[in-house]
Amino acid sequence: MADTGADQLDDTIVSEPLDLVRLSLNERVFVKLKGDREIRGRLHAYDSHCNLVLSDVEETVYIMDDEDEDLKTIQKQSEMLFVRGDAVVLISPPTQS
Amino acid sequence: MLFFSFFKTLIDEQVIVELKNDMSVRGTLKSVDQFLNIKLDDVSVVDEVKYPHLSAVKNVFIRGSVVRYVHLPGAVVDTALLEDATRKEAASQASKMGGR
Amino acid sequence: MENTDPSLLPSIIFTTAAQLVDCVDKKLLVVLRDGRKLIGILRSFDQYANLVLQETIERIIVESMYSDIQRGVYIVRGENVVLVGEIVSFTLFFGSVAFDLLLTYLNLKDPEKENSIPLREVSLDEIYAAQQDEIDNRRRRELTKNSKLIDIGFSIDTQQEDMY
Repeated sequence: MADTGADQLDDTIVSEPLDLVRLSLNERVFVKLKGDREIRGRLHAYDSHCNLVLSDVEETVYIMDDEDEDLKTIQKQSEMLFVRGDAVVLISPPTQS
Repeated sequence: MLFFSFFKTLIDEQVIVELKNDMSVRGTLKSVDQFLNIKLDDVSVVDEVKYPHLSAVKNVFIRGSVVRYVHLPGAVVDTALLEDATRKEAASQASKMGGR
Repeated sequence: MENTDPSLLPSIIFTTAAQLVDCVDKKLLVVLRDGRKLIGILRSFDQYANLVLQETIERIIVESMYSDIQRGVYIVRGENVVLVGEIVSFTLFFGSVAFDLLLTYLNLKDPEKENSIPLREVSLDEIYAAQQDEIDNRRRRELTKNSKLIDIGFSIDTQQEDMY
């Protein structure tokens, strides 16, 4: 971090990893979580622990079928979701076009 | 403190807290603290058959560290305000770091 | 907490202490991260949710069976606490007849809950055996699932701490 850090409030400067997350606010992001879970949703808030708030969330969970023990995925929807940061593995910004 | 303040605005709303063991508890958000410990009133467990021990419980204190998700009612969240607050928090964090 | 006027105690309201102080001297259900369920009277706590419980019993529940063990005074380290629940009325929870009635009521309310047959007290030996079966079963399923996840390219976090 440079000594002349006066212009850090500039919204487009990316000097640390979470700045990339800031640029994804109000965009749809992909989040991978511990325990074989993935979510996609519109990002509205984050903090330094990677706590998140997302809307229009689609969650994908890998589960094992009770009878035939086959691995399958289930989808769950949620209109507004708080995600605790300690389970977050990665946050991927929307793909740039 | 962003999420602490955020949860304070949700007090008295109906939420579902999903724990890291997959158990989900529905209830009215009554209180939250700096660790995001949560207190719910009028609780019901989503899968009562699997968790019979909670049938006789009326309110719960849930330790923040065991929470995976909190499902919120979408209508009560002002997303634009939340994004602004997030940017402000990020900026104040950055200026703290810069002042080292 | 009837006397916590927000204008008098602005900084205290949103603390762990404020959340747990209502529970002091009440009969509580405490669920721990290893799956244990304790029922006892809360006598003290701090900001980490470390707890002191008196007249504690440990209740082991496996499917529809349960068994109680007298444990006495417990000091529970906060990081192991999952949740603390205030029990509505302990005649409901302890008097098994009343508890049966409650579950019957729940059955009536929701026809899908036909599996929620009332809990029945069994001997310690019986519950330990059933509990061991349940643990073995879960371990086996977890191993199968993990190997299948590895097959499709996941890496597995081997820590199995959230058993509750």
